Amino acid sequence: MEEAGGRVLDEMRQAVLAFDAEAVGRLCRRALAEGVGPLRLFDALREVITRVGEDFAADRIFLPELVGASKAMEAGMAVVREALALASKTMPGSSADGTACGGETVGAVARVALGTVQGDIHSIGKNIVAALLAADGMEVIDLGIDVPAARFIEAASGAAAGDPAAKGGKATPGRPVDVLALSALLTTTAAEQKKVIDRLEAEGLRGRVRVIVGGGAISQEFADQIGADGYGGTAPDAVRLVRAYVAGRDSAGKGDR
Amino acid sequence: MPLAGFKRGFPALAVLSEEQIQQIHAATLDVLEVTGLTFESGRALQILRKGGCRVDPEAKRVRIPAAVAEQALRQCPSSYTVRSRDPARSVRLGGNTFYYSDMPGRGILDLDTLKVRPATLAENHEAMIVLDALPNFHVLCAYTPYFDVEGWSPLMSITESTAAKIRLSTKVQWTGYQADCEKFAIEMAQATGQDIIGISCTSSPLTYGADACESAIRFAEAGLPVHVVSGCIMGATSPATVAGTLVSFGAEAVGGVVLAQLTRAGTRVSVEDSVLPMSMKSGAPLFGSVSAMLHTAAFGQAWGRYGLPLFANSGWTNSKQMDYQDGWEKSLTSLVIALSGCHVANFFGGVYGELAFHPLQAILDDDAAETIGRFIEGVRVDAGTLALDLIEQVGPIPGDFLTSAHTREHYRREMFLPRAADLLSYQEWERQGRRSALDRAKERMAQILRDHTPLPLPEDQDREIERILARARAFYAEKEGS
Repeated sequence: MEEAGGRVLDEMRQAVLAFDAEAVGRLCRRALAEGVGPLRLFDALREVITRVGEDFAADRIFLPELVGASKAMEAGMAVVREALALASKTMPGSSADGTACGGETVGAVARVALGTVQGDIHSIGKNIVAALLAADGMEVIDLGIDVPAARFIEAASGAAAGDPAAKGGKATPGRPVDVLALSALLTTTAAEQKKVIDRLEAEGLRGRVRVIVGGGAISQEFADQIGADGYGGTAPDAVRLVRAYVAGRDSAGKGDR
Repeated sequence: MPLAGFKRGFPALAVLSEEQIQQIHAATLDVLEVTGLTFESGRALQILRKGGCRVDPEAKRVRIPAAVAEQALRQCPSSYTVRSRDPARSVRLGGNTFYYSDMPGRGILDLDTLKVRPATLAENHEAMIVLDALPNFHVLCAYTPYFDVEGWSPLMSITESTAAKIRLSTKVQWTGYQADCEKFAIEMAQATGQDIIGISCTSSPLTYGADACESAIRFAEAGLPVHVVSGCIMGATSPATVAGTLVSFGAEAVGGVVLAQLTRAGTRVSVEDSVLPMSMKSGAPLFGSVSAMLHTAAFGQAWGRYGLPLFANSGWTNSKQMDYQDGWEKSLTSLVIALSGCHVANFFGGVYGELAFHPLQAILDDDAAETIGRFIEGVRVDAGTLALDLIEQVGPIPGDFLTSAHTREHYRREMFLPRAADLLSYQEWERQGRRSALDRAKERMAQILRDHTPLPLPEDQDREIERILARARAFYAEKEGS
């Protein structure tokens, strides 16, 4: 028997590969309307971005295609998050954290919120990190640029919000993120990363989330000094840090956080 | 008399046709007028509005009419002196004169481990003495050349750097900005009766941050030169194409020129091409790449028509050490800059990107710098150099030229013997212990440190610098405390 929404999912995959964020969002909404569950939709998005990641690793495509596909996928992810949030509100007995839906759970290996800290409007490095993480199977919430500490705290506490500049990125409640990734290119804004970590401490959230930092102005010494869990000098470093965290978490078993 | 530098003796490289230059110019004016730039400073917005630009204060977006842009470009002096505290060390930027500056690094490259670490104060001091001594080095860049020097707080680093450059060298300098530090640099320039060039860097695409605006305004108001820098990353913060980046870069740079000229008409302005392509595999910038060289060559040519001093970067390389790759990437890019009609190449001492500096690299670069400089001076053709009488007199074999008075008179002008490079015959090289260019550079550095003393700053001026430093330290201590 043909899968529900099989054709629209195919079109959606094609739209990701054509870097058409608008179409991906539209097709994802249509898929939901045709009875595709949000978690099935999530899997379909992940399948296609994993394939894109393989092409990138094999030098068949380069950053312009990788980032383009990842942005397109993010438009679909926003639809998935919205649907899950709605389901958690309307379905009796559903989990309060917003990710469980009729007993199903989103199966991303880790949930990462990232952004460039307040006062800093540099986005390219952050976008590359987002694309590489997504291609590696992580769920990525891009908080955008010039992000105030309070928005990182919201993400850590579970009020996940996408980049308001991105389509469909409006705030939706969700599961707290596993990792916060903070970017700063300027020496003058590097200190803002410390502010985020200090706020996490003050709000009692520090133990619940890994904080990784990077960007042009950041060094390992600085990361150690401000109490970050990891430092990445390059975008692939960020992926390695998140992978290492996932490996550590999985080997430690449940309840690590 | 200012430092001579090198005089280009033939027309600059022409990689663009006249029609292409016109297309780029028209497109640049179009971006300025239609898209405009963001200036994140209320003071800049006010100056620009008063000067005839269309300002959207809400979006901080400024549309610059073509007439305003062209007027600002015309107001820039095409050639001017940047005064040193030692008049013999001033430079006259512009015209057909070519100079060298340096490429700073976050730290010093440790030659044994190839790791980069903060420089000690002693190492910082040594690097300054080497740069002060090298004969083909003319203009000190924004740092000493290290960003990280042990004992300097991050907020004080530029101010400490500016002071150290004044004290340890008579070569002129440009200086950076962050958190109001340019106020102290301007005071130091005034206290020592010299020019300090202030920089203003764009945040590509098409944006000037508040600090960059403030730096341009403050230096222009003080009657000091303003250096506008755009470092687009092709394919990331500007179009992936050389032509598109020329337009995007051009609009950014003209925006800075307009701000400086509207702040104070006739301000001495220079523009720097700091453009690089991005590696589409890693996202890292690609130094010494062919598209950067083509961009620089086109920049020199297209901006040559505006007639103001032009800088470009050649001191960075993808190599993490002083090796073959570092040598060819840096030297080839420098040659392109020199041929393109630009006036200053930021070349000396940089190793990887802006990550590392080493004085030995600067000593090796001094050889390449003179080779390139001598090359662009071209061929002198006159009755004396043609040597027609001499050729007739010597005739075929067994005639020779070695013992002629003409040879004795002329050969020094035609010859250049690099100081660190190994030029020995194989046998002599064996006899002398098989020394590499790097070994020889180490000997030259030891000799410089032994023999060279920079002209000391007069005592009263030194005390004034100390007073300014003390004020700056108090200012930032309070800032950090708040």
